[in-house]
Amino acid sequence: MATFEITTRSVKGDLKTDTMILNMGPQHPSTHGVLRLELVVDGEVIVDVIPHIGYLHRCFEKHAEQMTNYQQVIPYVDRMDYVAAMGNELAYVLAVEKLLGIEVPERVQYIRVIMAELQRIASHLLAIGTYGLDLGAFTPFLWCFREREKILDLFEITCGARLLYNYIWVGGVSHDLPSEFGKKLKDFLKTFPKALKEINDLLTFNKIFIDRTANVGVLPADVAINYGCSGPMLRGSGVKFDLRKNEPYLVYDRFEFDIPVGEGKMGTVGDCWDRYYVRVREMEESLKIIEQAWEQLPPGDVHSAIPKKVRPPQGEVYFRTENPRGEIGFYIISDGHSASPFRVKARAPSFVNLSVLPEISRGYMIADLVAILGSVDIVLGEVDR
Amino acid sequence: MRQYFKNIFVAIWTILIGLKLTFKHLFVRAVTIQYPDVKLKLPDRARNRLYVNIDDCIGCRQCEMACPVDCITIETVKALPNEDLGVTSTGHKKRLWVTKFDIDISKCCYCGLCVYPCPTECIYMTDVYEFSEYNRHNLIYHFSNFTPEEAELKKKEVEQFELEQKMKKAKPAEQVTVNNPENIEKKS
Repeated sequence: MATFEITTRSVKGDLKTDTMILNMGPQHPSTHGVLRLELVVDGEVIVDVIPHIGYLHRCFEKHAEQMTNYQQVIPYVDRMDYVAAMGNELAYVLAVEKLLGIEVPERVQYIRVIMAELQRIASHLLAIGTYGLDLGAFTPFLWCFREREKILDLFEITCGARLLYNYIWVGGVSHDLPSEFGKKLKDFLKTFPKALKEINDLLTFNKIFIDRTANVGVLPADVAINYGCSGPMLRGSGVKFDLRKNEPYLVYDRFEFDIPVGEGKMGTVGDCWDRYYVRVREMEESLKIIEQAWEQLPPGDVHSAIPKKVRPPQGEVYFRTENPRGEIGFYIISDGHSASPFRVKARAPSFVNLSVLPEISRGYMIADLVAILGSVDIVLGEVDR
Repeated sequence: MRQYFKNIFVAIWTILIGLKLTFKHLFVRAVTIQYPDVKLKLPDRARNRLYVNIDDCIGCRQCEMACPVDCITIETVKALPNEDLGVTSTGHKKRLWVTKFDIDISKCCYCGLCVYPCPTECIYMTDVYEFSEYNRHNLIYHFSNFTPEEAELKKKEVEQFELEQKMKKAKPAEQVTVNNPENIEKKS
């Protein structure tokens, strides 16, 4: 699909040919939450997009300062990116642990890796499922949710919650893996590649889907870097940057996996299809990591390193990890004497990725904007915090 | 022109692939269940409605402190020396009357942080997940054995007792300081 040049057409008579402002959202099915997009349109062609955010603002950062201890922030962290809560917890907990300077047991690190990767698969499944839904493919959405359900079941037997886990704690995890976890995980690892292939056949390589997404919303690598994009957004543009490889945390340096990048297989490098396909392939890589981690999982006690009282010394710390949506970072300042953080700042990948939306949607049609926004894969809980 | 027809052919072909797949799924067993009639068994660790076994509560307020959303309200009254409250099932001695133990379950975020610090394991999450109410005030659960009136009585009783204790303490002290010359000397 070609971009349209914006011209003021000469129309006979006194027909107005000015640009028009159109509101999309905050209650719009394809904005994935409460996001209002102010569109400046010339006919059907988008001249500019101005995202208005803040409808879901819950003062996460201020709340974190009001808590009585560091542990209490974790349920709030969960509610940032609520479809990838494990990843948020992980980043926050690792930041606090860095501030405390404690070393966690190996088993805990492996469990955390397994959980984070399962969460990545679950989150990407939701992303590609709803992306299909945005573009009119309903069946893959249901299939994605069916697979996601298996992961949520795994989480539920482990920590008791399906969405907001409060599982990863400072110094450990809340529960050890239950005895039936291994069997269920193996079942999932066995059946998932088959399900993924079905989704690929049905959606990824469907001609209509490709026509809607290829060559649409092209994000060149330099623009992506300038805007600070991360995660599949950045990798879709062909930049091989993944914190799990470039700045390994936990035990990620012990696993063999690739970093999929956009190759422009169906159109230009950095188009919507590339971003979508990076997510699909990342799921395969996550499967590899989980398999290796499960094989290497050492025995041990998951509670041994949990400190009685989390009271970090005075100082500040920034820690970033690779969340399904990109690079999530927590900046924590401790004043040294109180048991709660003095300041918590979260760097939310969705928020940063959303900022590039006007840049990549200029010149496309309104219908394409749905495809572009879906490929950015935002979670409004994280954008607004 | 050729490309045009090729595109149409590819589009139809990929749609047919999809249709074949979805047709196959007609004969796959459904993964959904008819919810109100059929219910899945929740795992042992399921975190749903909070429950407090008030007989085991020693009124230490650990859960109240741990709650990030402040949905637990506890009020306690000291037991008088002549009252024996017994021990909990875990062997802790009870020293406080728990006159109020309210959980506003509509505020609860089911994080489970209150469960872990409890020394007697009397607060825990159950697998009950259907507890909708027509009136929101019914979602404030009162776990204490005391009605508000009884709690008020108990409070007064203790106040009375403390007042008496004070009087008792104050009286001999006065006598000591006034009547005993040794004490006066020591003080000066």
